[in-house]
Amino acid sequence: MSQHFPAFIIVIPLIAAFFIFTAGWLKRTYCFYIAAVALAISLFSSFGLLLQVLQNKVVVYHFGGWSPPWGIAYRVDYLNGIVLVVSAAIAFLNLIATKKSVEKEFIERVGPFYALYVLFVTGTMGIVVTGDAFNLYVLLEIASLTGYALIGMGTEHAALASLNYVFMGTIGASFYLLGIGYLYIATGSLNMFDIASILPNIFQSNVVLFAFVICLTGLFIKMALFPMHTWLPNAYTYSPSPAISLIAPLTTKVMVYVMIRILLSVFTPSFSFKSMAVNTSFVWLAVIAIVVGSILALSQQSLKRMLSYVMIAEIGYMVGGFWLANRAGITGAILHIINDAAMTLCVFLVAGNILYRVPGDSFDNLKGLFRKMPFSMGAFVVGALSIIGVPPTCGFFSKWYLITGGIAAGHYGFVAALLFSSLVNVVLFFRIFEIGYFEPFGDLHISGSMDEEEKTFDDAPLGMLVPLMIVAAGLIALGIYTDTLVTKVIQFAIPGGIS
Amino acid sequence: MKWFGFIAVFLCGSLFIYGTVEFPGWGDPLSPTSTHVSPYYIEKTMEDTSVPNIVTAVLADYRGYDTMFETAVIFSAGIACLFLLRQMKRKKTDFRLYRHTATGITFRIEKGGKLPPTAKEFERIDGLWTPYDLIIKTTGRFIIPFIQIFALYVIAHGHHSPGGGFQGGVILGASFVLFAISHDLRSALNRMSEKLTAFFYTLGVYIYAGTGALCILLGANFLDYSALATILFVDPVTARSHGILIVEIGVGIAVMAVMVILYYNLVSAGKFDEGL
Repeated sequence: MSQHFPAFIIVIPLIAAFFIFTAGWLKRTYCFYIAAVALAISLFSSFGLLLQVLQNKVVVYHFGGWSPPWGIAYRVDYLNGIVLVVSAAIAFLNLIATKKSVEKEFIERVGPFYALYVLFVTGTMGIVVTGDAFNLYVLLEIASLTGYALIGMGTEHAALASLNYVFMGTIGASFYLLGIGYLYIATGSLNMFDIASILPNIFQSNVVLFAFVICLTGLFIKMALFPMHTWLPNAYTYSPSPAISLIAPLTTKVMVYVMIRILLSVFTPSFSFKSMAVNTSFVWLAVIAIVVGSILALSQQSLKRMLSYVMIAEIGYMVGGFWLANRAGITGAILHIINDAAMTLCVFLVAGNILYRVPGDSFDNLKGLFRKMPFSMGAFVVGALSIIGVPPTCGFFSKWYLITGGIAAGHYGFVAALLFSSLVNVVLFFRIFEIGYFEPFGDLHISGSMDEEEKTFDDAPLGMLVPLMIVAAGLIALGIYTDTLVTKVIQFAIPGGIS
Repeated sequence: MKWFGFIAVFLCGSLFIYGTVEFPGWGDPLSPTSTHVSPYYIEKTMEDTSVPNIVTAVLADYRGYDTMFETAVIFSAGIACLFLLRQMKRKKTDFRLYRHTATGITFRIEKGGKLPPTAKEFERIDGLWTPYDLIIKTTGRFIIPFIQIFALYVIAHGHHSPGGGFQGGVILGASFVLFAISHDLRSALNRMSEKLTAFFYTLGVYIYAGTGALCILLGANFLDYSALATILFVDPVTARSHGILIVEIGVGIAVMAVMVILYYNLVSAGKFDEGL
């Protein structure tokens, strides 16, 4: 059975999505359990795959029994093996953690919500596991389409924000598709590794150059790198909280993974880094993204909005680290995909818990929250310290690799931007700690009255807290086991030619 | 700002055109696209799958996994529309409207009033002005069976001629939409209720993904239709051809039902009464 793991990761959630939709018409309470079982199987299979990768190096699965380049193949190696496990774990933990708030927000639409949720996970995991450039686009479509729908059900301006995201996302995906079309014209193949074997003969061709530029533009839009980030803050601010704690950790990080995959495995490092000679310009673009993202985060007045700008800065970390084009930088970028996904999950889950008990997430509403929700805010402190980069949380280690890479590449602008962003993060998060800890409890809370009992402990339900605690502990565990992660997995994910 | 935009678009456009200069010539037999993968499909399709239409074989067999997700995209679009638009609670009105079908007179019955007998002469309508046109209804009724027969032909004949599940499904869906337009939404819902539509579009994707999963249970890789040979009592090559037909039927059902549910939701803004 274990040889079918690559299919199980994707196909079981896909079929479960259909079951969930049917169950939504029959008995609503089943939806959650079907989703949980499907995502658990998916998590189990991706874990099994990672173990297989650690033993046999590469796992290949041929769909329909056709070998590539004629058929579609899934290919799991060190790079996507680890990203798969992390995405599956995030999807599963978030599903468990948001059960109560889904019941609160979508009582009538539980069936369609969970069906879309599981389809989103299917799409995202498929993007990570696939070895076929066109199959990646199809799965990108599923992940985006379900993402738009989930975001569109949010509050206030969610529909408009989602529409804006639809436009930008579609443009990004079309660019990617166009780039793949150019590659197909140049090579006649759609399988990533087959393209990679043909490309070295035609590196001089303009068609390949344009394919490179167009693909990359599309991916930059999808991952919200600074000048193309405008869709992100609104979409993430207004979206419903159970959806955003799934979408925020996965979407942009997976797109960074796609960039790394396309540039390392399809275009190969010798083309991406040497022939193109665009490394430094892209690092500077990332520097601008980091600085602008941090400064814009400073001027926000609500928690989710601030976090979305922090994420824009984080995208700069990963893109910049990758384009440093040395081993430490790329290690940092891959490690940061994992760490940033985990810390984004942590802080957005806390935002969800806060919104479950408090009417809004503007800074006024956060007053006195350490007293009211000590456990949620405790997890928030861990997440925040990780984003700032305080050891032993995981954020410190990826930042360390990134800074080492920046120094090794002699790119001090990037190093300075990282340090600047860390300092800004200190200001951002300690401001929230201060509001939550020292400011008196306001009368904006849902309880309204100022009775002494009302002010005291009223944290989110246990079902939401336990997964959050697991995530917070995971941040520290990821930090402590960074060394294992890098020496056992990530260092093999980087092709040999990079020093 | 307008000029800035124009210049940017013009520059990028020219660059794009410049990028196409090195493209291989139109229909060039020596271009990479016609020398790398395609020859295999052209030479081997009949031998591998016994399907004369190469496009169908590539779509539903060699790259059938992509097509399954294309169906899933359509399924997601259907759910997304339902999720965003459908109003689960119906607004209660104080009155009900009925039309006397023979004369076209509309009755308005206030709350507590006596409803007309549920005989054939009266039909319930949603708006005071619900168009009623004998010519359009009759033409629609006349044309719909032909559209449906053609749709079924397109679905079933996908391996031999241009066509297949997507095209046939859209045509079949169009016939239901035509019925809803030429009559009204209420009678369309009487023919094909929301639940039935939902049943159909999950059924379609079940058929596709289920066929794939069945192949795993029979010991082959996902979507390797040759494994179906044992349960279809044919040789593995013919099994591939039958497998393609099965998934095409699944695609056809799913696409048809999604077209209908999209129409129902969009036309009535999710309220499922006579909209527009």
